[in-house]
Amino acid sequence: MLTIYFLATLSIVAVLCLAKDRKHTIALSAIFYALQMYFAVDIILNHIGETQLSFFTFDNLGVLCFSLLSVVSAMTFYHSIRYLDTETNAQFRLYNQLLILLSCAITATYFANNLAVTWILIEATTIFAAVIVYHRRDKKSLEATWKYIFVCSTGIAIAYLGILLISSAAVDGELSYVALASAINSGNMLYMKIAFIFILVGYSSKMEIFPLYTVGVDANLVAPTPASALISSGLVNAGFVAIFRVFMIYKDTPIFQWISNVLIVAGVASIFIGVLYLRQTNNYKRMLSYSTVENMGIVAIGLGIGGYGLYAAILHVIAHTLIKSGMFFQIAQVGKKYGTYRINRINDYLKYCHIGGIAIIAGAILLLAFPPSGLFVSELMIVRQIVILEKWWLLVVIVLMLCIAMYGVLNQVIKLSYTESKRKTTNYKIDIIGVWLSFGLIIAACILGLWQPVWFVEFINEILNMYSV
Amino acid sequence: MVFALIILYVITLISISITERFRDYASIIAMQGWILLFIVLFKLHSIHISELFFVLAETLIFKAIIVPAMLFKIIRKTKTNHIYAIGQSQFPSLITSIIALIASIVTTYYIADTTSNMVFFGVALYALFSGLLLIIRRKRIFSHLVGFLVIENGVFLFSMAIGIEMPFLINIAILLDILLVVLMLGMFLSKIGTSLKSIDVDAETLTTLKN
Repeated sequence: MLTIYFLATLSIVAVLCLAKDRKHTIALSAIFYALQMYFAVDIILNHIGETQLSFFTFDNLGVLCFSLLSVVSAMTFYHSIRYLDTETNAQFRLYNQLLILLSCAITATYFANNLAVTWILIEATTIFAAVIVYHRRDKKSLEATWKYIFVCSTGIAIAYLGILLISSAAVDGELSYVALASAINSGNMLYMKIAFIFILVGYSSKMEIFPLYTVGVDANLVAPTPASALISSGLVNAGFVAIFRVFMIYKDTPIFQWISNVLIVAGVASIFIGVLYLRQTNNYKRMLSYSTVENMGIVAIGLGIGGYGLYAAILHVIAHTLIKSGMFFQIAQVGKKYGTYRINRINDYLKYCHIGGIAIIAGAILLLAFPPSGLFVSELMIVRQIVILEKWWLLVVIVLMLCIAMYGVLNQVIKLSYTESKRKTTNYKIDIIGVWLSFGLIIAACILGLWQPVWFVEFINEILNMYSV
Repeated sequence: MVFALIILYVITLISISITERFRDYASIIAMQGWILLFIVLFKLHSIHISELFFVLAETLIFKAIIVPAMLFKIIRKTKTNHIYAIGQSQFPSLITSIIALIASIVTTYYIADTTSNMVFFGVALYALFSGLLLIIRRKRIFSHLVGFLVIENGVFLFSMAIGIEMPFLINIAILLDILLVVLMLGMFLSKIGTSLKSIDVDAETLTTLKN
């Protein structure tokens, strides 16, 4: 199954080299996304729990993230067609090849059942994402690409030190998560603590949390906006999966509380930074990127506090993926219409696209975790767990930061939709189907907040029991 | 013999902190590659022949030949020469490097356990600190690339300190990943040098991405 997926990916990427025009490029790329969706459905129906090619397991966490990725990446492809309308076929073809390779690397990261394999694939995502960021070939993209490769690679080299430290506990060099969960207690706990910090620091560049969150923000700013949607959701989830799997192997160790506290500190720092810059920025793409930093900070806190927080963290990741990608797709349309993403130059969007304007306002409200957002449910669960633990300082920090975020984001989004504008716009005709499709993602996050079927709850609960010794 | 090589490696780390010319940086990185090659040759003779061959090939081809050649090519292409635009004393860098060395020894003494090779552990830590110092203290992005390579060499030594033997397939994938990233960094560094039409590309030039 996975062999077919990898071979299909490589074949499509290879055949794309022969695509003579945009139509061929689109047709070939569409085959990949259709196949990816088929694989997602097939895995859910027939292969959950299976291990393939030794290093990949279709566990619930991987399947969940892969399902989300198959939707988001297909939508990224769809939106890119209209968004990259001035590109030559060669540029468009290369972009699509990289998007497919990035999707494939992210998928493999989700399913990797081995610490070292996850590291290899995370590094591979850096390579593909970096070239996507360089798509425009201008000074800004060059700077962002350099910073992205350099910081990610340095971070990932540090993460490798962490892997080496954890591997000192491994039996016969067996680095599968299941084996490590059993063996970790025999290791030097000081090594294990340092290892977690190194891995957290390294993968923070992917999950876009403190301390290496900056490169993700810059990459999102410079990359073509539909690709930013994939980076901000699919790639961020890859970072989350990598950190979550390592976190879970510590579950039965005496240092688990210490590890949890490290995540809480990283989460609080991320929320603080995200909210601070979210208000300062004058660019919608940056605003959404800082919102990712803030939301992933909430996820880290959810993991750190445990209890209901663990379930909430997974729910938060799902809802965030849907809303954030939906918002990026909407903003892509706005950017094409106004020829800019600067907040002070975009107003009165409702005049040009009524449903798009409504989608952006709805998306912003849901992103800020107002009911009935899925994020509302997850944040409420996190707050509930904090109250149970009586960590009042954490409660005050989170509530205060979320209030500041609400003010900052709503202020900007209302300007975008309502404030009257005399500025000229481009001749770009807004893609209503695209607007509705991305609105669908936002609505899905809304449904998640209102209704979570029993099978869904059980599915997530099984994720929380992974690697139990 | 291994101990002598390790001392030599420490000397290269000290000298990289006071180097003023990029050519010397590239030469030191090449020298580190060769030292690592001989360390592998002397230290890992007991492992399986195929794995030994792989590690030797990795250090010889990648660390001792390809990477230094790439650095010299970048120097030629971007015409970068000195790490500073104007002459500056290297004494503070030397002091910082020695403090990092002492910090590495102290840290190793307190945290390294008996299962690890203390000498390799300490030197790997020193290499990590030296790489990070190069990235933090130097402004030119070429120095940052060298800092990254010093960290990578430190990671290599660290894996020898811990003594983990990963499966062959994973080793190859890790090597390919690192090789690709280093090549990409080199490629983009050259592009930055060409794009900004300056021989003095430093981190302060790369400030267009703002809020």
